[in-house]
Amino acid sequence: MIFNSLTFLVFFAIVMALHYAPFFSWHQKKINLMIASYLFYAAWNPPFVILLWVSTVVDWWAAQWMVRAKSERTRRVWMLTSVVVNLGMLGYFKYGGFLMDNFVAVAASLGIIYHPPGWDIVLPVGISFYTFATLSYTLDVYLRRSKPAGHFLDYALFVTFFPHLVAGPIMRPTELVPQFEIPRRATGNQIAFGLALLTLGLFQKVVLADGFLAPVVEAVYDAPGKMPGMLDAWVGTLAFAGQIFCDFAGYSTSAIGVALCLGFAMPDNFRFPYGAVGFSDFWRRWHITLSSWLRDYLYIPLGGNRHGQARTYAALMGTMLLGGLWHGANWTFVVWGGLHGVYLSAERWLKARFKGFTPGRFAMLGLAVLTFVLVNITWVFFRAKTFTGAAVVLKGMAGMHAKPDPLVGYGPMMIAMGIVAGIFGTHVAMRNTTLEAVLERTPAAVIAGIWTALLFAVIVEQGQGSAFIYFAF
Amino acid sequence: MPSSISHSSAHKAELRGVREGALPAGLRQTAANRPGQAQPVPTRDIPLRPWLKMGTFVLATVVVLTSAWEWTARTKIGLRAGDIDDSPQAWGEARRAADYGQVAIVGDSRILFDTDQARFEALTGVRPVQVSHVGTNSRTLLEHFANDPNFHGLLIVGMADLLYFGRPGIGLAATAIHNYDKNNKPSQLTGLWLDRWLQNYLAFMDSDYRLSRWAPRFDTSWRKDADSPYEDVWKISETFPGRQYFMWDRIESGGYLQAHARYAWHGFKRPPIPAPLVNKVIARSAEAVRRIRAHGGDVIFIRPPSAPELRVNEDKSLPRKLGWDRLLVGANAKGIHTDDLAQAQNLVLPEYSHLSRKCAAVFTDAYVRRLVELTPRLKLRAGAPPPLSRADCVPEKIAAL
Repeated sequence: MIFNSLTFLVFFAIVMALHYAPFFSWHQKKINLMIASYLFYAAWNPPFVILLWVSTVVDWWAAQWMVRAKSERTRRVWMLTSVVVNLGMLGYFKYGGFLMDNFVAVAASLGIIYHPPGWDIVLPVGISFYTFATLSYTLDVYLRRSKPAGHFLDYALFVTFFPHLVAGPIMRPTELVPQFEIPRRATGNQIAFGLALLTLGLFQKVVLADGFLAPVVEAVYDAPGKMPGMLDAWVGTLAFAGQIFCDFAGYSTSAIGVALCLGFAMPDNFRFPYGAVGFSDFWRRWHITLSSWLRDYLYIPLGGNRHGQARTYAALMGTMLLGGLWHGANWTFVVWGGLHGVYLSAERWLKARFKGFTPGRFAMLGLAVLTFVLVNITWVFFRAKTFTGAAVVLKGMAGMHAKPDPLVGYGPMMIAMGIVAGIFGTHVAMRNTTLEAVLERTPAAVIAGIWTALLFAVIVEQGQGSAFIYFAF
Repeated sequence: MPSSISHSSAHKAELRGVREGALPAGLRQTAANRPGQAQPVPTRDIPLRPWLKMGTFVLATVVVLTSAWEWTARTKIGLRAGDIDDSPQAWGEARRAADYGQVAIVGDSRILFDTDQARFEALTGVRPVQVSHVGTNSRTLLEHFANDPNFHGLLIVGMADLLYFGRPGIGLAATAIHNYDKNNKPSQLTGLWLDRWLQNYLAFMDSDYRLSRWAPRFDTSWRKDADSPYEDVWKISETFPGRQYFMWDRIESGGYLQAHARYAWHGFKRPPIPAPLVNKVIARSAEAVRRIRAHGGDVIFIRPPSAPELRVNEDKSLPRKLGWDRLLVGANAKGIHTDDLAQAQNLVLPEYSHLSRKCAAVFTDAYVRRLVELTPRLKLRAGAPPPLSRADCVPEKIAAL
């Protein structure tokens, strides 16, 4: 089920009614929420509920046995059991076909012709998200960062809680399980603010990402045989920068709003990322829950910055390459992650080289623009399905096509660039503040007017119920 | 341990997670600020504003605005409640139903518009399952059915010559087939039912009048050869249950929208279709027909009409004797060409490519009466209505010309 669907509106209304019904105990309400979460997931593909269940049960028991273990070796065995089961499921469903294709390609390069049976496996929606969420539970217990959850129901609800289940934010058990311990009841103000956030998220997804930006992106990236000129290639890529942000941040904002209506707090996942100055700043603002997960469970265990320069750069590159692969079973994603790794490494080197440099106001703006431009170059590999496709767009961006095809009409182009300029300007202007702080300074009449406009735009746009891009990850 | 998720150590105040009033930006931390540690319950601060009052105002205002938009849709645009729109999910639903139906229709938009299902049923007692798709090469659908051993019925293949003999895999049906399983999921089906239910009451819920569809139409192809919304086919149909398409009456009544609809076809000017491609299409069609018959089904081709303004160009690209006639021989199949139906001559095609709503009934009447002669799978009902003629659908003024 997706937030931008009529089905979700009905589902959410029922969940809210049950959650605030006076005749249920808190224990029963948690059971209701868990059943609702399973329904939310099953609405996409019912059999895959089993995977959720396997992941839940294995990690619960792995953590329990880890705590009871007498020796460090036994603890490690249980931690590895959890890792193998979770990454095994992820590997089979998400990377099985990719690994097989690469195996066949390598074998062919050695002169061995191998024709494997077709790998016709459907990717369970959100598997990358809930796998990382449950893994953080056993890893935190193993690393002695936290104790295991006290009640199975609380833990199972943490795994399945529908607002974060299929596309994050990737929550840690320490962030959510404690919230299940006491009855949650949002005030009228909180519910209304949650609905305002849901409106904002839906506006980003339905109107901006799907309505106005996606067609421009598709005109450039899904035009086989066409050669984009510099204008079209940049417009298509900038539009994708806007689309991917509105799509994913829209989902996170909706999820936060939905959880808030139920009385739960979820963490920020985006902090005006296109206002970032530099790439370490970008990754503190973009998909925060993933980047911090990778930092805590991959970069730091790989050595982090505690073992000299060479090891730090290696850990950085390894983390970003794997982070790229997390997004999809395709080498283009690996290159996307690798480019970010190179950017981060270069920035680290430059910071060490020019330690005393403090940019002024205009230099900051220039660096923000430079960061945004370089991020856009990485988006080409993220959006193009093949390296050939990416090369066509990159050549276009460099103005290297001798006879380019005009691809995007001026009308859609103007609208898309207006939206992207608005996003970039907003991010730069708000990079040192929060949405909540700005709203608190804004007159209620202005907020109500904007909220009305956003909601009305969502209704008039109607939406096609298209899935969020990150569902595929 | 620096943090815990156990009940005993949880402090209720910290567990609330929600706080009235916005935290100063520097205090609002995220996981990015806390490396290598268990993350605490996040804090969501609620800006000190009268959210409940604002929400009530927003709800009331949006209801008023939506009502005004609904009124505009009905009175100014000419949309109607009950025009339930088509969707990939609705196509998937029809596709599933086709396996249980006696007659299924596949093809492009012409057979979709030009078949009046009620008339078909009135004549034969059988309501066909409409599985055609706009903007497609109907051979894609023919081959899809050929690959389905569960289909045992009569398959009517409607075709616009230039699309049918065009390159394989072209068109929106290929996407619909590709997404067939995905559009069969529980959430997709409930979405379809809810959407239909709402569209029975709300006229503005029309995919052609979504904000992002009509807003960019101010660009009247400013950039030569670029993809512009002005070049797209805008709304020309209304859709009713069973994927019954009819020409939208605003297109029938002339004016700007009719002129644009005619313009959007660009005269169907295409380069001639090379003979090797025609041969390949015929060979693949013959194989598809053979396989459908092997499953116990049968195939009949239908070529619906197009206006002389288009037909002249279509014939230039592929004359009937090189396309249609050779197809029937090569595929060893029967077919009904609009030219051969005396009752279906000079019908009204408001935008040149599809029949008017009334003329769709006349064309259906004409082809079904021929169809029952070609196949034993269908018979005319004893109480079938009398034949229709051009006079039943062509306005008197035009008929007199």
